[in-house]
Amino acid sequence: MSGERRISDAPDGSVAIDLSRRKDAWRREAVRESLHEVGNVAAPYVTMTRIAIAQLSRSRLARLGAVVLASLALVAVFADLLASELPIACRWNGVVYVLPNVTHPAALADATCAREAKARWPGDWTLAPLVARGPTETAEDDEILRPPLTRGHPLGTDALGRDVFARLVHGTRTALGLGMAASLALVAIGVLLGGIAGFVGGVLDSIVTRAVESLTAIPTLVLVLVVVALVPHPTTATLLWTIALTRWTDLARLVRAEVLLTLGTDYVTAARALGASPSRVLGRHVLPNAIGPAIVAATFGIASVVLVEAAVDFLRVGSPDTMASWGEALGEARANAGAWWLMVFPGAALLVTLIALNLVGEAARDALDPKLRGVGEELTEGMRG
Amino acid sequence: MLRYALRRILWSIPTLIATSLVLFFVTTLAPDPASPEGTRDALAPSRDPRVEEARRARFLDLPRFINPDPHDVRSRAAWAASHVGAGDSEQDIAAAELRRLGGAALPSVLPQLEALPPDARGRLAVALGPVAERMGLASADDLADPEAAALFWTRFWDDRALDFTRAAIERTVSRLVEHGSDLREEDLVRLDTFALPAVVSAMSTTSDRLTLSRLTRIARHVSERGPTLEIDAAAGETRRAVADWREWWFVHATDFVTIDGADRAVAVVTETRYGKWLRRAAGGELGISATDGEPILDKLRARAPVTVMVCSVSLFLSWALAVPIGAYGAWRQRRTFDVVSSVVMFLLYATPTFVLAELLRRAAAALSIGGARVALAIVALAAASLATSSRWQRTAMLEVMRQDFVRTAVAKGVPAWRVAVQHALRNALAPTVTLAGLHLPALVGGAFIVEDVFRLPGVGFETLRAIEAHDSAWLMAVVLATAVAVTMGLVVTDVAYGALDPRVREELVRRQGGRAA
Repeated sequence: MSGERRISDAPDGSVAIDLSRRKDAWRREAVRESLHEVGNVAAPYVTMTRIAIAQLSRSRLARLGAVVLASLALVAVFADLLASELPIACRWNGVVYVLPNVTHPAALADATCAREAKARWPGDWTLAPLVARGPTETAEDDEILRPPLTRGHPLGTDALGRDVFARLVHGTRTALGLGMAASLALVAIGVLLGGIAGFVGGVLDSIVTRAVESLTAIPTLVLVLVVVALVPHPTTATLLWTIALTRWTDLARLVRAEVLLTLGTDYVTAARALGASPSRVLGRHVLPNAIGPAIVAATFGIASVVLVEAAVDFLRVGSPDTMASWGEALGEARANAGAWWLMVFPGAALLVTLIALNLVGEAARDALDPKLRGVGEELTEGMRG
Repeated sequence: MLRYALRRILWSIPTLIATSLVLFFVTTLAPDPASPEGTRDALAPSRDPRVEEARRARFLDLPRFINPDPHDVRSRAAWAASHVGAGDSEQDIAAAELRRLGGAALPSVLPQLEALPPDARGRLAVALGPVAERMGLASADDLADPEAAALFWTRFWDDRALDFTRAAIERTVSRLVEHGSDLREEDLVRLDTFALPAVVSAMSTTSDRLTLSRLTRIARHVSERGPTLEIDAAAGETRRAVADWREWWFVHATDFVTIDGADRAVAVVTETRYGKWLRRAAGGELGISATDGEPILDKLRARAPVTVMVCSVSLFLSWALAVPIGAYGAWRQRRTFDVVSSVVMFLLYATPTFVLAELLRRAAAALSIGGARVALAIVALAAASLATSSRWQRTAMLEVMRQDFVRTAVAKGVPAWRVAVQHALRNALAPTVTLAGLHLPALVGGAFIVEDVFRLPGVGFETLRAIEAHDSAWLMAVVLATAVAVTMGLVVTDVAYGALDPRVREELVRRQGGRAA
């Protein structure tokens, strides 16, 4: 082994291992050599990630959930192609526009070319989206509360004449976009603070622990409702930050426990004895253990954010009316008891999303860390309300 | 164990304070519907006395959390004196302010009178004229001439400086409380507002009607506001009047006392909007609702029983169902019952409470089941916690069933139901108890939703109305009240967990380094 070169006799006769110079170089070399041997002679190189992916793909329910989520993500990304007041491409007044529903050119601001049957200029043509309605487009009195399968409105319209399909499709974007953004933010905060609390300890640990306790005691839904009501101009970002800044606590607690557990293991002691710096211990040995909880928390986090967002909008204090959201659509259903389609479609969309997220989350939990079994309830518990 | 519970409760106090800090910050972001516009110089009073009073009563003249330079009578008097002396555009307000500050301002204004240029000195002395009139020392006409007024105030300070000390007024007031006489009352009037701190504090310590009527008379005379009491006043009237004076003093104390030394360091924190709010909240005064002007505390008392009832009934209902379903499912793992109940519970788990509640409401309306709103609300709320608890119970039970003592019991020939109940379930119950604690915040959030859907007049229903009205006092009180309730619930479940599981108890006791209490 090349490492032997670094062992030298010190003047007092003891043997010292010189780790100061090129310590990483020889270590990496050694690892590469051994891996080479394993790769050639023995079994293929197995990592935790590969095991997790293999386990995940074995679960049929997880695959189902993943497929559903992927399709929802596609719907969210291509929402403008599915429902928009502007066409996908058109020639209007002699000018050709490509994807005006994404770019929103000023020239087409008040044009209704997507659903206008006859072109004004000879040679004009339009390639209309699936439903030629925007999510915020209201309509005249004769188009309100139309049942599904009305001409031009496959899923009907609500009390303001807005197309339910368009709001559903664009609501997917709101729900998943907000869910992913907030969940990423809360995972970042949770891992950071939990890691610091566990690794540094002392006063910082006490502060984080207190903060976790304080925030755990406040029901998320109540807090979000209050903050959205009190902040002068609430936007989706307000919702996002309120959730992210209060819901990191469960993950932080898990990460902290995981860090404390890891710090007590023999391999960390060994790494320290070999002279590994605190940052190396943290980066190589401690934090990788927190990846499992973080991924699981991220998945359940999306579910809980979707849930909270829908609940807040349902209670009619949510994002401004320009935003399409499932919760808001369900709130509409409350006011119009006869219009079953206002209840069924957004409700089904919400339910399917939540079920898919929970399926994937649970499979991820089982695959990544058997220790975390049962933690899903704990993670989502605080967020559900 | 008792010691552990006490420690948890004590530790929750800083936690709640931190929570209230964050919340308070959020509530101050919102424009207060009752707050007047425009806050210029913190020292300059507004021209409209009603606006000024509203501003002061809501502590909008104070900073939110830190007051690096708390204002007291000295800084206020200095501000007023400088503007009167300079004779600028703020002169009128400043003169009115000097009249309001009255005798309390004299110790900081009069010693500097000599050092001022003659015309400034004259203006200041004339501006102080109404104070002398209030003290009964001279009429306003006597002091209309700047020269004469300046001479009067210089002589006055030479003669009376010794009376304007904290010790002197406290002595005078305590003499008045012991043996009231008109002469002593007159002595206090001569000190004007300087006597107020001792007078107001004497009001809350004495219950003698005669003394109270004298004290309120003095206070009203020098402050030119507030109720007085007659000797034959009823007990309720007395209480109201004293409360009014204390409330006024709580808002205006810094107008009449100097803040020095250690008090100044404390005032940095207490003389803030948050400090004032916290002092009040600690005394149970959570403010007045902006929607209907009712005290928040009364409203909370009226609304809380509904919410508490809905939460506790649905919690117990869900437990009563969840424990058997989860445990039996685990015992018969992968059998029909387990598979069916797992799927149902998973679907229930993923269903948002508000969708479930709305569906239930519609179903009830379709079947014309009227008047069962409370029952439906409880069912909707219980369904959500049933799903969580039964899944949790199943996991815990599976965990226990893997352990050796269960296998040993089976091998020994213990009947299956006894193994299931006495060996496995008993040990699998403890984790479910902890979950109940974690579940509390979600339960409260769910209660808000079902109250709104089923129109139950609970805290949640009222909160949603308050959100529409931007009633920050109510919202703040509600979030804090839920936080307190949930914290207490967490302590209870922690202690219950310890009581159920000796291993946990030992662990808890060891961590605190004491013996089991």
